[in-house]
Amino acid sequence: MSRRGVGLGAFVNRNQTTQSYATHGANLRSTHLASLQTQLSVFQSLLHTFALEHSSTIKSNPTFRAEFARMCNTIGVDPLAASNIKGKNGRRGLGEGGSFWTQILGGDMNDFYFEVAVRVVELCRETRSENGGLLGVEECRTRVGKGKAIGSGLEVSEDDILRAVRSLEPLASGFSIVRVGTKQYIRSIPKELNTDQATVLEAIQVLGFVSVSMLRLNLNWEKARAQTVIDDLLADGLVWLDAQGPEKEYWSPQNLLDDSG
Amino acid sequence: MATTTPAPFPFPATYNFPPFFTPQPNTNTRHSQLQKWSSLIQAWCRHHRQYRLSLIEAIDTPLFHNSQLRKRLDLREARAVIDWMAKSESQGGDGRAEWIEAPGNQAPKTVAWIWWRRPEEWADVIADWVEGTGQRGVVLTVYELIQGDASASQEFHGMDNDAMLKALNVLVKRGKAQVFGGEGQEGVKFF
Repeated sequence: MSRRGVGLGAFVNRNQTTQSYATHGANLRSTHLASLQTQLSVFQSLLHTFALEHSSTIKSNPTFRAEFARMCNTIGVDPLAASNIKGKNGRRGLGEGGSFWTQILGGDMNDFYFEVAVRVVELCRETRSENGGLLGVEECRTRVGKGKAIGSGLEVSEDDILRAVRSLEPLASGFSIVRVGTKQYIRSIPKELNTDQATVLEAIQVLGFVSVSMLRLNLNWEKARAQTVIDDLLADGLVWLDAQGPEKEYWSPQNLLDDSG
Repeated sequence: MATTTPAPFPFPATYNFPPFFTPQPNTNTRHSQLQKWSSLIQAWCRHHRQYRLSLIEAIDTPLFHNSQLRKRLDLREARAVIDWMAKSESQGGDGRAEWIEAPGNQAPKTVAWIWWRRPEEWADVIADWVEGTGQRGVVLTVYELIQGDASASQEFHGMDNDAMLKALNVLVKRGKAQVFGGEGQEGVKFF
């Protein structure tokens, strides 16, 4: 050991060392893998137990459900992605398909999100002429929570709504989530908002309504620019006009929802 | 008639939305606006048990005038809403109103039936009631039908006489009733 390996024997020696390093590494790896696997399976079974134990709460309590889903997400398990593939050959790893919700909570968890998605689609279609296809997630949640017929309300969290909209993606439905300012919207008409339009919508969120002169004052826009943006928004049905004041005012129809039914 | 009901009318959220009172330039938005106006007018009339609406009288009532917002629907606009409501669904309206021709004829129309239940729907209600109370073959005066104790619990109790006759005419066409007698003295027999 103390002597530096010289001569032919050194090659043999070095070979041996490399080999023993390699075997040792492989050993270490397999122990690691084994212990990780144990950890994972322990964790998996704990998650199972937890989900089973609290399944009724997960189903009935939107806040709890959202937290549970968030926890799953943090550790790389997407419950929704997993639940989209219905009952694909039973047990596989948690992360890679299978049917997570189905395994743990039975089929009705899938159905729950599909139900929510159906409501969201209905609501978007119903209100499209009123809001130009842009529906606030919060408004949507309230409305789905109320339901149409007596007893048809679904208590859901915003997280549920977002998940439901995401579950529509494989259908190429054109439904997506856009963020304007601090608010999230479900967009049911595939149309991009340009920056100016988004800015104006954000201003309406803050101020309640806008007018051309307000835009000129606050954003330093030229009159033509302000007018164009507003005309575009009007043409898309995203704002409503009030012409009974001293200057034309433009309002967002987002808070109209509760009586269109 | 409009102010006799004690409970205040619950206005929908749209009523406090200032642009609601301005005709919207966007066609889709406009359509949605007309629908909302129609359901507001129907709800208002139903609440006040009103079957005909005179625009001249109504234009200054809270229905068309939101004094809090200081917004109002002017006569021309109100007429446009009723025009839309008077169109059938196939014509792009919702068939919930019907202009009443003024005797002078030439003057612009200002009074309309508001059908929060259409005559056909009233006919169903009355037919069900007749059926349910075993009054087939019975002869009633229209006055009894509207004001009698027997119909006190019914929605058509106290109904406008002419509106009632329109509903009864539907039943006549269906062969379920016969109306006879002169103006103001009508009687009806149900089959």
